[in-house]
Amino acid sequence: MTSVLIVDDEMFIVELYRDILQLRGYKVVGTAFDGEEALRKYGSSSDKPDVVIMDHRMPIMNGVEATKQIIRMNPLQKVIFVSADVLVEKEAREAGAVEFLPKPFRMDDLIEKMEKVHVS
Amino acid sequence: MPTEQIGSKREEQFAFYMDLLGHDLLNNNQAVMSYLELLLASPSIDSAARRYAEKAISHVKTSTLLTENTKRLMATRNAEPEAFRPVDICEAVQRAASSVQRFFPGKNIKFSLTPDDIKANVLGNSFAVDLIMNVLVSAIRLDRGETSELVATLAEVTYKEKKCWRLRIEDTNSELPPFLRRDEIEAVYDQDISLAVKTTGLLFAKMIAVNLGGNFEIERLGGRQGKEGAAFIVTLRKVEKV
Repeated sequence: MTSVLIVDDEMFIVELYRDILQLRGYKVVGTAFDGEEALRKYGSSSDKPDVVIMDHRMPIMNGVEATKQIIRMNPLQKVIFVSADVLVEKEAREAGAVEFLPKPFRMDDLIEKMEKVHVS
Repeated sequence: MPTEQIGSKREEQFAFYMDLLGHDLLNNNQAVMSYLELLLASPSIDSAARRYAEKAISHVKTSTLLTENTKRLMATRNAEPEAFRPVDICEAVQRAASSVQRFFPGKNIKFSLTPDDIKANVLGNSFAVDLIMNVLVSAIRLDRGETSELVATLAEVTYKEKKCWRLRIEDTNSELPPFLRRDEIEAVYDQDISLAVKTTGLLFAKMIAVNLGGNFEIERLGGRQGKEGAAFIVTLRKVEKV
């Protein structure tokens, strides 16, 4: 079962991801509400998640910075960047995100990205 | 502090707030749209509830487009056209045409573009894509028929001494508000605001096109009384080398 770490500052968006992903058979292994918490949880986990879903605008540390640091820890980590800021796509990909999904997305688009990332 | 600086600071703060507000609205639209999709994915949903949920999703899409418009306007209002990356208008039109159906689930939309196989790069980045999406949505909204047939053509022109690509989208069934005239879209601002409904997408197209160094005009086609049809004309600055 593909494991996922969800990083987003909005509680209702985290719950939404959990609802969608669990319904489609994914295992949510952790959640974080800002980039710094994500790094802490990611760094301390013995089993790294298959996929990290990363928001951009978050307090303390944004998604681009958190993605850079996660990729520094594990260059093979798959990060799907999800943001309402379409202009941040280039930066997100340069930071190491393998996919970018603009908000609001269709549920099928998220699942398609998850499958694509997992297969690759 | 001089008055000019106070004004500029206030405008910066206003833009900052609008950006944050837009972001929060998009997050909420995300949640509404996804829960409706989860409802649709439920095997026990009946056909009436399915129809209502599909209609609600199309309205969330429209709400998203309107929210993104305000963000786009704030982002482009002070920038020079050259600051925007090139985008292939041909590809942008086809992308917008393929996703516009989601805004109108009960409507049959036909779209054609000629020529459809050329590289036509213009200044505009994703702003140009949004501009075209707004023009398509506005054109279809002004056409009350069950089927909307949009015929688009692309041609090279010179506008304000600059080489440009001009996209002309015709809908022979469109019903324009009476106060709209070619290249005088700003006439809307002189109307009572209660009469200016259905022009938000057109005003957005005009403002963004101008911000990108181009233009947006409308033309009455002069057909039957009440349904004379309209052409929506987008002109954007051509990029020779990418």
